[in-house]
Amino acid sequence: MPTFTHGEVSIDVDEDGFMSEPDKWNETVAAAIATTEGVEGLTEEHWKVVNYLRDYYLKFGVAPMIRKLCKETGFKLNKIYELFPSGPAKGACKVAGLPKPTGCV
Amino acid sequence: MEQQRPTGVEQEGLTTTETPAAPKVKAHQTPDDVIHLMEKDQTQDVDTLVPLPFPYEDWKDTPIPTLSDEQRSRFEVGPDGVSALQIPKPATEEEKEERVAQFLAGLAKLLDREDNWTFLQPLMLSLENCVKCQTCNDSCGIYTDSGRAEMYRPTFRGEVLRRIIDRYIKPGGGILPGLRGHDIKVDWNMIVNLAELSYRCTLCRRCAQACPIGVDNGLISREIRKLFSQELGIAMPELHTLGTVKQLKTGSSTGLNPAGVADVIEFAEEDIQEKAGLEVKIPFNKEGAEYLVMHNAGEFLSWPENLQAFVIILEKAGVSWTMASEPVGYDSVNYGLFYDDVQYSRIVLKHYGIAKSLGVKKILEGECGHAHKAAMPVADRLVPRDMFVPTESSLVLLEDIVMNDRIKLDPSRNDFPVTLHDPCNITRSMGIIQPQRNILKKICPQFREMTPHGVDNYCCGGGSGFAVGNSVNFPDWRTRVAGRMKFRQILNAFSDSIGPETNKYVCAPCSNCKGQLRDIIRYYEGWDRCRILYGGLVELIVNAMVDVPEGFLEWEFH
Repeated sequence: MPTFTHGEVSIDVDEDGFMSEPDKWNETVAAAIATTEGVEGLTEEHWKVVNYLRDYYLKFGVAPMIRKLCKETGFKLNKIYELFPSGPAKGACKVAGLPKPTGCV
Repeated sequence: MEQQRPTGVEQEGLTTTETPAAPKVKAHQTPDDVIHLMEKDQTQDVDTLVPLPFPYEDWKDTPIPTLSDEQRSRFEVGPDGVSALQIPKPATEEEKEERVAQFLAGLAKLLDREDNWTFLQPLMLSLENCVKCQTCNDSCGIYTDSGRAEMYRPTFRGEVLRRIIDRYIKPGGGILPGLRGHDIKVDWNMIVNLAELSYRCTLCRRCAQACPIGVDNGLISREIRKLFSQELGIAMPELHTLGTVKQLKTGSSTGLNPAGVADVIEFAEEDIQEKAGLEVKIPFNKEGAEYLVMHNAGEFLSWPENLQAFVIILEKAGVSWTMASEPVGYDSVNYGLFYDDVQYSRIVLKHYGIAKSLGVKKILEGECGHAHKAAMPVADRLVPRDMFVPTESSLVLLEDIVMNDRIKLDPSRNDFPVTLHDPCNITRSMGIIQPQRNILKKICPQFREMTPHGVDNYCCGGGSGFAVGNSVNFPDWRTRVAGRMKFRQILNAFSDSIGPETNKYVCAPCSNCKGQLRDIIRYYEGWDRCRILYGGLVELIVNAMVDVPEGFLEWEFH
């Protein structure tokens, strides 16, 4: 299994950089993963998305539907793409320490 | 049911984008070419891909990324440098030999009636009767659009398998194939290539339809996948560990548990209230309902408007229906169809068991192609009668609702160019051709067909689970090579209004196809350059419903 290392952070990830052990996530880890996602520094808006995803995942075991993410954060989808260039599933979820989305999503 | 067979120029289907001839390799392979090809590196060069039509003449593909040395030290790749399976590299030569022995033992089982009662007959008919006329070759969009790469030829995998069988399984195999001049030696490298190449065919079965005697090379690919999954534990991770295993454990291939479904449903009810002004309680576990409606749970998370549109239509038309809250019962996905009989059976029996316990009359499959095939034609073949539950396609019920005016519709609300992508599993594998067309002709004034279409459609390039294959460089191959034909067809269907000033809609009544369409439209920048959107069928129906405020369909790419 590949390991992702950035500064002090060293975590196991899958082939596409998603965390293999999501419970090892913390804000430092998020900032480290963000550097691989073309995100230059996490702003308040980034954290709004990340924290919502994180909370939802802890409650339901999956990422929320994109429509719900947009509705709850008040961001339109293109805004989320601005914040996370690889998009909500590949970018934002990765930074929030969620495993890669599965199924026909 | 009318089966539409385009003729003449249409048969080729590529009026303005004729697949260039001039293959880089000779048109007919000799027996030794086949074996030789399995041994060499054939990285797909994007410059050999078929060019795109207007307005993409200057389109430059970015290369398919190669794997890092570190990745290649851990797992294998196919002959094209692509990895669908991430097969771990054996540590020692002994381990390789052990794996090869497992493969050969598994192959013997694949050819045995006791061990493969499910598909032995069609498999043998296909293996033994192909006369290698290569008529099927040009029916394969992956083969033609790759620039006719030999390894993607529809007959290629079957030919390799046939020779291995002649050499290793049939009596006298040690002598006869050598005398015939095409001996073959099975080693680790060869079985890796065979496993990977069984995941470069979308099982769309267009080649089987083109074959004068019905040889089904798609089925051969599927049976190769089965051998690797059931005997060697090698399968696409997104289909197996993250697919069927996850579905049986959590309730859904997406990982949605019943609490998550409840949250999705609550959100859908709010959304329906806001967008359609309809106060509705989505029925769950209603015993004795006429239909147990099963959706691909991917819809809930990525295309919730599809779920919502179904609710609005079924409620307004007064249909007796329910959904199920028991794990697996709320996800119609059955990826076992694509690679493994055991996983297939576990899921289909769970689906039927839940329907039986609710006492519904029928299961209604939502807009998901492989779920149709898994629950209908394949279940017809494999599931014992006493466990079977009658299952119906939603397209047929929707046709009844729309054509018999069970809801009020205003087609002028859908006055934009619409074309239809036919999901292979619903059309070619089941013959459901007209219902979706009758609906679109009634509610979309600017509906136009793709060429070719109906039973002659091309796969979206995401078939057989490819659309969920999102690891390493597989998605890069999927968009550039497997999805190219479909994107060309879409551009051609909209050639009269291709500019970004006109919103256009590709209707694809299948979750897997939608995932692939999203990825190819994004890769080819189809939304930004041409305003091409994709979505399901029910969304168009609700968009035309007089009882629903205008604007159900949102022109935002997602």
